[in-house]
Amino acid sequence: MRTKLAVVLAGLALVALAVPAVAHHAVGAEYDASKVVKLTGTVSKVEWTNPHARIYFDVKDADGKVTTWNVELAARSALVRQGWTASSVKIGETVTVEGSMARSGVSGVNARSVMTAAGKRVFGGNDGAIDQNAQ
Amino acid sequence: MRKLLVVCAMTALVLPLLVRSASTQAGPEAGKVQAARRAGPPKGAVPRLPDGSVNLMDGVWVGGGPVQDMESQGGLKKGEMDALMLPWAKALMATRDETQEPHNACLPMGVPRVTPFPYRFVQNYTHRKPTHMFILHEGNIHSYRQIFMDGRKHPAELDSSWYGHSIGSWEKDTLVIDTVGYNDKFWFDRRGHPHTEQLHTIERWTRLSLGELENRFTLDDPGAYTKPINFRFVATLMPPEDELLEYICQENNQYGASTIPGYKGPQMGKDPLK
Repeated sequence: MRTKLAVVLAGLALVALAVPAVAHHAVGAEYDASKVVKLTGTVSKVEWTNPHARIYFDVKDADGKVTTWNVELAARSALVRQGWTASSVKIGETVTVEGSMARSGVSGVNARSVMTAAGKRVFGGNDGAIDQNAQ
Repeated sequence: MRKLLVVCAMTALVLPLLVRSASTQAGPEAGKVQAARRAGPPKGAVPRLPDGSVNLMDGVWVGGGPVQDMESQGGLKKGEMDALMLPWAKALMATRDETQEPHNACLPMGVPRVTPFPYRFVQNYTHRKPTHMFILHEGNIHSYRQIFMDGRKHPAELDSSWYGHSIGSWEKDTLVIDTVGYNDKFWFDRRGHPHTEQLHTIERWTRLSLGELENRFTLDDPGAYTKPINFRFVATLMPPEDELLEYICQENNQYGASTIPGYKGPQMGKDPLK
């Protein structure tokens, strides 16, 4: 793979998996659940905010070019209710993010999973899915 | 003397609730809330205040209104609500897509829309019966509704507003909230069901059990619908570990700005250019 970016055109089953139980404010209009990416990089910023918490992380491709990706998580309120905190991931930590690509083509994803280098899943509910209960 | 005792007992009961609800920064007990929510609404009898009236203030509630589609979520058959829309309202709704809902831009959700976030009923107790009821909403946006419980009427003239002018009263065990004076800006749901400033709503909140609170809702808007329409929603009580949290939607709302090609922002009211 030329870059660490793997774009997977998902089948119907995958699309069904990506649909949250209670959808976020029109998340489908912002992010394309049929275009799922899996990226590994270094966390550069954490925004512990509403209506969404976000992490920004730097992903290096095979040529050494670094791109900062904006990762949309669930609402801070929803994450707090699951027991996560602003320091559940730390700046400088390596994480792997899987999520739906922004429809506009910018470097942004709506996260389906966030995994630390140690293999710990963060910002996900107990059932493994990130709670998209925002707005 | 007996009256004084009742007042003291009510104050003792309600005060800790108010103090707890004011501590928005305390946060729920980590992780427990989600797990407890999965267990479903708690079972038990309807709790009552010392004066015998139904207590709606013993916890936070989720649900009890529409999000995606008022028609289906409110218990109507497919097409039943849409068939009662005036032609202009139908035409306006046809131009709307869910990305344009004002709610996405951190604007208030109006009535009876809800969010996945909780809300709490609070009454002001003094040595007299409550004169005001407040519904404090955590999510979008961090806002409150004020319901006058002191017997006043609606003013003859009102400036239109997002939550309108609400008067409340108890009919046996049902809290009835009558509201007029709405603006026409909010949407009833993500489908974009519209309304006008003629909107008049009646909510009938009945606590069915410890864990369930029914909202029988009447939408009366001759400006947009051919006759009043009745809906039914049910809210559920959240576990005692759950509390209202701070939710400042404007802090970091990036909705649509970079993610949706050609995002136009919210569409409010009858006139799409407004």
